[in-house]
Amino acid sequence: MLTLEGVHAGYTAIPVLNGVSIRVDEGQFVAIVGPNGAGKTTIFRTISGTLRPFAGRITFDGQDLAAVRPDRRPHLGIAHVPEGRQVFASLTVFENLEMGAYTEAGRRAWKENLEAILGWFPVLAERRNQLAGTLSGGEQQMLAIGRGLASSPRLLMLDEPSMGLSPAIADLIFEKLLEIRKHSRLTILLVEQRVAEALESADRGYVLEAGRVVLEGPNSALRADDRVRQAYLGM
Amino acid sequence: MSAQLIENMLQALVAGLLVGAIYGLMCVGLALIFGIMRVINFAQGDFMMLGMYAAFYLVLGLATQLGLTGGITPYIGILLTGPFLFVVGYAIHGFLISQVSGTRSARLEGEGHYAQLILTLGIALVIQNGALIAFGSQLISIRTPLSASAWTIPLLDGDVMLFVNKARGVAALISVATIVALTVLIGRSRLGKALRASADNPDAATFMGIDVARAHRVAFGLGVAVTAIAGGLLATNLPFHPFVGIDYVIVMYAGVVLGGMGSIGGAFWGGMTIGLVQQLSTLILPTQLQNTAIFVVFLLIVFFRPQGFFGRVAERT
Ligand SMILES: Nc1ncnc2c1ncn2[C@@H]1O[C@H](COP(=O)(O)OP(=O)(O)OP(=O)(O)O)[C@@H](O)[C@H]1O
Ligand SMILES: [Mg+2]
Repeated sequence: MLTLEGVHAGYTAIPVLNGVSIRVDEGQFVAIVGPNGAGKTTIFRTISGTLRPFAGRITFDGQDLAAVRPDRRPHLGIAHVPEGRQVFASLTVFENLEMGAYTEAGRRAWKENLEAILGWFPVLAERRNQLAGTLSGGEQQMLAIGRGLASSPRLLMLDEPSMGLSPAIADLIFEKLLEIRKHSRLTILLVEQRVAEALESADRGYVLEAGRVVLEGPNSALRADDRVRQAYLGM
Repeated sequence: MSAQLIENMLQALVAGLLVGAIYGLMCVGLALIFGIMRVINFAQGDFMMLGMYAAFYLVLGLATQLGLTGGITPYIGILLTGPFLFVVGYAIHGFLISQVSGTRSARLEGEGHYAQLILTLGIALVIQNGALIAFGSQLISIRTPLSASAWTIPLLDGDVMLFVNKARGVAALISVATIVALTVLIGRSRLGKALRASADNPDAATFMGIDVARAHRVAFGLGVAVTAIAGGLLATNLPFHPFVGIDYVIVMYAGVVLGGMGSIGGAFWGGMTIGLVQQLSTLILPTQLQNTAIFVVFLLIVFFRPQGFFGRVAERT
């Protein structure tokens, strides 16, 4: 479904990504883990198009994304739930969800999607008329995920959904993700610092260090890998 | 209190409300650009001036080409100015202002505000001098059959007679109707929400599939169009010339700040306040001090309520 082949990218002349290749198949749950500054968010930015790669190819359903403007990519079925949530602070919770449904597919399935989203995150229904900027961090994360789901995506990209949240809330978010996935057979690409949880839920994983994939494979293989156990799982 | 004094006060109050409604509309146009999209536009007064000339020639055209001379013809011409100036604003934003605003502003010093200031001052000068060459410097105004007639409202058993100029009354009604329509558009429509989302967080708006650059162009065009309509309405009572914009750009910024940045309704009340202060001050001050009175009240309000009438403290996180 999504492939990155030898992607080089960066913000200045110094590259942050040095030839990253990643592959996400339809229906899979893929996790990318790695230390701070490895370039995980940068990978997401090249996929959603807010950063143009220096070299390499990104395809979605076989289509080269270089030819697709960033604001058209969500219409193909790519939803990006960004790092730090980035909800529309001055819009209400409900308006944020409506903006999620800006895509054609999202508009068509708005009623069913809304019902499902409010079912998974009932707190959003309670706070539907509250300005999103006044929500707590956990509520904002639920809204950001809900907003992503409202576009009826085929690929949901989540950048550190647990960032800055208490362990209990982070666990809740992970639980919901698994529930959502079971319900909708969504393809998920997840970036996480909480490596144990990420690798536990994912089918496949990539370990990124200094802009390079240093390890990849099915989650069982990664969890059994000595380097991963030492560096990330503290075993 | 003598009947004469009451009459003068009520007359000034009515005049303030009527002109305040037009100022309110003018301010709402700038509120879209400055308050919501956060672009400093010092050419807004000159876009208004262009709106006045556009309305003048549209009204003239309707009369001479189509033979339309009825009482409502001028208002049709003035409302047609809206789409016309929308295109002007949309194009100028696309070619020039987009270089220093929207998604680009993050990479510029002071969020692009310095560059916007200089660029729009330049645009203002070009428009002013272009208008001087094209239209000349003589004072003109839009003549309406209604300007010469008034509704008379007797009060207190006829001791007090209130005169409401029909042209001003209709202009105020059109202002209010335009603002209501715009409030619904921005508050409720998909387009309006997309504009607000684009201003709030351009990156996230892109992730939603919104064409942020286009949203900014549309908002700018709308803001210019709304102020231009206000200019046309004002021109039915006020003779104008190519440099009339300078006086009003100050009124507009004062109104938007008074109303509390980012609030359409607030900008309307800000403009209304300025109209009222201006007219009521004529009761006790010589006309030359009108603008001074506006600024004293402006400073007082900003001193006691810095977030404006409707501004929320810490609206953006
Ligand atoms: N806008 C930017 N301008 C310049 N450099 C940037 C920018 N954003 C990120 N970088 C740099 O790119 C590198 C990778 O950043 P990135 O955000 O992709 O890391 P990450 O893996 O997501 O880290 P974290 O886990 O902390 O979120 C870092 O060295 C960072 O300093
Ligand atoms: Mg990151």
